[in-house]
Amino acid sequence: MTHPEALIEIKDIHKSFGKFNVLNGIDLTVRKGEAVCIIGPSGSGKSTILRCMNGLMPIDRGTIRVGQHQVHSLKTEKAMRPLRHQVAMVFQQYNLFPHKTALENVMMAPIQVLGHDRAEVEDRARKLLDKVRLGHKADSYPGQLSGGQQQRVAIARALAMQPDVILFDEVTAALDPETVKDVLFNIRELVEEGLTCVLVTHEMGFAREVSHHVCFTDHGKIVEDAPPAEFFANPRDPRTREFLGQVL
Amino acid sequence: MMTAQLSYDAKKKSVLFLLAAAVVVWIIVDAATGGDEHWARVGVRLPLLLTGSGDGWPVTGGFILNVLLSIASMAVATALGTIMGIATLAQRAVIRLPAFLVMNFLRNSPWLVLLFAMLYIIPYEIRVFGMVIPFPPFMKAVIGLALPTAANFSEVIRGAVQSIHSGQWEAARSLGYSTRQIYMHVILPQAFRRMIPGWMNLYALLMIATALATVTGIQDVLTILNTSLAMESERALVYFYLTVLFMFFAYCYPIAVFARRLERAVKGDNI
Repeated sequence: MTHPEALIEIKDIHKSFGKFNVLNGIDLTVRKGEAVCIIGPSGSGKSTILRCMNGLMPIDRGTIRVGQHQVHSLKTEKAMRPLRHQVAMVFQQYNLFPHKTALENVMMAPIQVLGHDRAEVEDRARKLLDKVRLGHKADSYPGQLSGGQQQRVAIARALAMQPDVILFDEVTAALDPETVKDVLFNIRELVEEGLTCVLVTHEMGFAREVSHHVCFTDHGKIVEDAPPAEFFANPRDPRTREFLGQVL
Repeated sequence: MMTAQLSYDAKKKSVLFLLAAAVVVWIIVDAATGGDEHWARVGVRLPLLLTGSGDGWPVTGGFILNVLLSIASMAVATALGTIMGIATLAQRAVIRLPAFLVMNFLRNSPWLVLLFAMLYIIPYEIRVFGMVIPFPPFMKAVIGLALPTAANFSEVIRGAVQSIHSGQWEAARSLGYSTRQIYMHVILPQAFRRMIPGWMNLYALLMIATALATVTGIQDVLTILNTSLAMESERALVYFYLTVLFMFFAYCYPIAVFARRLERAVKGDNI
């Protein structure tokens, strides 16, 4: 079955590190404007799914389509670049460039990678920093910002590329509880504006409120994929039930 | 215990101070018991030791030649080491493996042997299109000292580049940067700060090693000590050698201290 309106279509992907099979046949469809949360025990392949979507990790078998890009057939870094202009990523460890200010972090890639006009990019970057409520920190270096602030700059940096999709890889996992809600607030705003988001998260409450559907991964497979109301109220798979029993 | 309350730095400082004080006391006591006439000889010949001329001008050698040699070698080594360092980081094995081979060969060669080898490998002059390019001993010394220094510097570069967190690569790749752009805009600007202490340490080592260049026959401080001053009394030579040792110490120690301070500053923050 094909979904013409699907922005991301993943079919039966497999990935192993040496003898360890991380992904054992993942199928996942994300439509435009949807927010999809992937939850599951650690080591179940959640982050690997995200890294396969933007080609940071090559897959062993299966197909991935993002927009018009057939990700599985892109073999070189060079071929991946147009894909990466469309798919932005936010990381657990923020990974801001420490030698650049917050504003420069947001401006760098659009200028250096997309070749956009500097003045226009600066305008866009300042608006994005305002949007994540860090306009006053534009000239601070990442080392001078808290974890939550760094993560919000990272979100602004991803948005500056004007992507079609943003992948969020456990973006609140390294944060203090009180700064988590600021970051989640920003992500919620993006979802409400209709940006397509794929989130790997441990924030069950957030997943329940924000996402259009929730996937549960275990041992490299998606064992449950359902709208959040159904997923949390009445999980069908025993592994999902067990996991939710532990974390909720 | 009293010392238990002192910090490591304070203890180190007091020990160094005691050592310096002991040296000063020894010099005073020695000078008072007859050493002063030897020191006077050193004083008279000091211009020769420093510049290679008895009057202190023109500069034809001496300690200043060692300094010039170290600067010239470091310049060559920095250029060569950068190329070698980038080559050892190359993705293509055709470039990387030969670079590794050369780097390891040079890093594991005794500096003195390399100097002797250059002496015999490099001709006195090269004829290119009728032009005669001479290779004086000074040039041979520069190249002989630059080779092992370049190999060590390439390791400093490689270490600095590889010490940049892999997340930086991931973030830059996910933003669509090409490998060349990642090096230019993300990795090298950060790695550069981490290279500086290693580069300075290497320079201090190189400066010390310039004494080896006496085997090429250049009029460096050691050559002068061995030839021009050979007629000094055996007792006075002890004072001359001590003076030369102190020259190297006075030149290199501040560099090493500064490098160590930079190293600490770089380690602490991630800016």
